[in-house]
Amino acid sequence: MNGTLTSWVLGKKWILVGIGVPVLVVAWWAFRPEKLWVNVKVNEPAPFSSSADLQPVYTGLLAGRAHPTSGRASVYQTADGKRHLRLTDFTTSNGPDVHVVLAQSSDDSLRQDFVKSQLGDLELGLLKANQGDQNYDLPDSADLSRYDTVVIYCERFHAIFGVAKLDKF
Amino acid sequence: MLQRINLALAFFLLTLAFGSQPLASAQESTKRDSQAKTLETGTFHGKVHQTSGRATVYQEADGKLVLRLTNFKTSNGPDVHVILIAAKDADDDANFLKTDTGRLELGKLKGNEGDQNYEIPTGTDLSKYQTVSIYCERFNANFGAAPLEKF
Repeated sequence: MNGTLTSWVLGKKWILVGIGVPVLVVAWWAFRPEKLWVNVKVNEPAPFSSSADLQPVYTGLLAGRAHPTSGRASVYQTADGKRHLRLTDFTTSNGPDVHVVLAQSSDDSLRQDFVKSQLGDLELGLLKANQGDQNYDLPDSADLSRYDTVVIYCERFHAIFGVAKLDKF
Repeated sequence: MLQRINLALAFFLLTLAFGSQPLASAQESTKRDSQAKTLETGTFHGKVHQTSGRATVYQEADGKLVLRLTNFKTSNGPDVHVILIAAKDADDDANFLKTDTGRLELGKLKGNEGDQNYEIPTGTDLSKYQTVSIYCERFNANFGAAPLEKF
């Protein structure tokens, strides 16, 4: 009696194992959970010479605020370390006393269209034209990890025409 | 005895399933050409499977298009591919691609971290395929998407 019961349980166990193991295998194959802990790192070189004299290091798209503004803002670095800001496909509205400045994206003044207090900024120069590609020199001291936002800024009316958050290229 | 045989069988099956997969490594030689032009660029977003970094399309002097991922990071997963999709962007919350989304395969993801290059077939219409997607084919899941904008 005892013997038959044991063998019955044993038999049932094998059915369970027979179903369970394939189910586990299929689930493993499908989800590959171990990949959660396994990283595969690569480090391919760029498909062009990295010694090219001009390299983009930051870039971002301009979004309009008080006035419609669009285009791309990019920071280029030359081989000798000089950096400049370049606006491409750029268009904004014309206005009085419009400047190109760098600001910190954490600055609350950037949330509004018009700056109420003072924009903590880094002046790059008077806007050369309200349309077209243009370059602005960056001071060597400019820390782009802090001043990470390009602002087209009308100083007379404290109006933010457009902003571009710079991301690492 | 039976248990041993079964265990051995299970291991044999597992070895068969996974043992044949080669280790992912990318030791590709790349063409060096200073005449490469930057055509488009964009940054990845993806929440369910944290994906970040930049995707940039370069055109080499001979006209070849190359997609390059930089500062790239995503989660590892089964059967993950790099594809271009015929859409302006892919939603974060949807996370699954609609079945009618046009797709263009660029290759299996070489690594879930690091800089990597993928060839884009010549004649690809970049005005149609506007977004890069890190795509898990097995589950039709979009790990992350980078909408490309003119550089």
